Amino acid sequence: MIRSLILARHSFRRTRPVVIGMAIVLAGFQFLLTQVAVFLMRNQAFGLLSSLVPDFVRSMAGPSMVAFMSFSGVVALGYFHPIVLASLLGLAITIGTEPAAEIETHFGDLTLARPMARHDVITRTVILLVATIASLLVVMTAATWTGLLCCTPTTADRPAFALIRSLATSLGAVALCWGGVAVAVASGARRRASAAGATAVTALAAYLVDYLGRIWDPARFASRLSPFHYFEPMTLISGDAVNGSNLAMLIGIGTAAVAIAYARFSRRDL
Amino acid sequence: MIAGINPKRYHCLVSAPAIQLEHLHKRYGRVTALRDLSLDVASGEVFGFLGLNGAGKTTTIRILLDLVRPTGGRAAVFGLDCQARGLDVRAKLGYLPGEPGFYGDMTGEATLDLLASLSGGTPDRAWRATLLDRLELSMADLRRPLREYSTGMKRKLGIVQAFQSDPPLLVLDEPTEGLDPLMQDAFYSLLADARVRGRTVFMSSHVLPEVERVCDRIGLVRGGELVLVSTVHEIRSLAGRRVRVSFAQPVAAPASWPGGCEVIDVSPRVWDLRVHSGLGAVVAMLAALPIADLEVQMPHLEEILKTYYSDQPHVSALARLRT
Repeated sequence: MIRSLILARHSFRRTRPVVIGMAIVLAGFQFLLTQVAVFLMRNQAFGLLSSLVPDFVRSMAGPSMVAFMSFSGVVALGYFHPIVLASLLGLAITIGTEPAAEIETHFGDLTLARPMARHDVITRTVILLVATIASLLVVMTAATWTGLLCCTPTTADRPAFALIRSLATSLGAVALCWGGVAVAVASGARRRASAAGATAVTALAAYLVDYLGRIWDPARFASRLSPFHYFEPMTLISGDAVNGSNLAMLIGIGTAAVAIAYARFSRRDL
Repeated sequence: MIAGINPKRYHCLVSAPAIQLEHLHKRYGRVTALRDLSLDVASGEVFGFLGLNGAGKTTTIRILLDLVRPTGGRAAVFGLDCQARGLDVRAKLGYLPGEPGFYGDMTGEATLDLLASLSGGTPDRAWRATLLDRLELSMADLRRPLREYSTGMKRKLGIVQAFQSDPPLLVLDEPTEGLDPLMQDAFYSLLADARVRGRTVFMSSHVLPEVERVCDRIGLVRGGELVLVSTVHEIRSLAGRRVRVSFAQPVAAPASWPGGCEVIDVSPRVWDLRVHSGLGAVVAMLAALPIADLEVQMPHLEEILKTYYSDQPHVSALARLRT
């Protein structure tokens, strides 16, 4: 475990500039959304915005569309916007594929030629993955809350902290799920690009399958196979509580993938 | 003795061979990388592991480090199975890979510190400083990111990281690749010191003069098979010395030549011979003849081993060395 932590510290030092840069951008985006919501509220534009949405989109989205076209909905957008989702998943995949990168660069030859068990490499990756995603979500939540507390009129219909926390938790779960899948793929790969590419393409396909299932009834069953099916921010905005089974499914997929990674990495030739 | 190194740590290691390979076999899909490779390397020995590219040298080394798992057979270091007791084995060795995978954004110092902390124990700063000094890497160099290092500097850093915990076994893959001649000498001197301290060295190399200079024994692997294991001295003596005799006047060749004497070329004024035994009988035969000049050449390891590298039929005397 000590060697996992030593490696994790080393990996964090190397990824620090990217993580800090991303934290600044994502925090800025969350803060900006609070101010966009304030702007829309002051101009009483939520109704106008809602009227611009085509009927078929409104009927597909259901009551969540009404919730989305509100102060809380706009603030919450930062926790499920495709760009935010793609950024976090990209980072999770990048971190998750570090074992493959170390084999590709031969750095792994130097570390694993020492009295270090192979599972330490996977443990390090999981530590880094969880710590990085959790840190980013904390920073995003803090930025949202700062925006709401310091620059929002008291008359605004501010979202409850519990909603922001639930959205961040769901986003974190889906990021960790794909991070786990990336670790599993990387544990058998020799090139980071091929491991990251395969995971990213699978994630995109899963996203599209889920999207298709949401808008087209016959594909609804297939969408259950996609991890994104268990990521439902709109229901949270509508006022539902976090669905524990959805979270458990996402964390379960990630955990199973990490277990596969431990097994594959301990048996393979490096 | 190096400060901080406990000699008792090595006492228990002396009884078992430093490296023991038993019927090692490795397949990658349909490609056989190693076939029934058996070899013992004694403690305190400097062993040269030779072979062409793809012969199986690196695969053997990676099996010792448990980076690659053998398909069959067993590898042990100081009596410890490399797969079952991998952590204990790797605690006893220092490894210099053929291509050290350093990260360009890390400094030399951070790299050495990280690798030392992964080795466990407290790194001996004085010993590291000695190594850096002998390989002419300054502290200013160590503070630079590795992307600014030349190939030779990276190789020197690789040598330092392998030697810095002063392990009982050093496994070195092409250690002088990219080093200039002065640094090669500095490296040979480090090896000589390691030998004096009783460390075992297992090194792969393409550079035959280097092997000839530093190794006690060599093993030659070809197509995954160990085709030769011998001391450098034995190989040389069995390969024979080349004797070239020039005469002041034309001389007739004798009807019979002394035992162990192989004729390469004979003309009235020059005889070109290879002598596999002592030179006494040849000198006695030449004593009565009008010799103008006599040249005796020791065989170079390179010439001998090239016959093994190629698939040509082997010299019969050398074949006897095969184990």
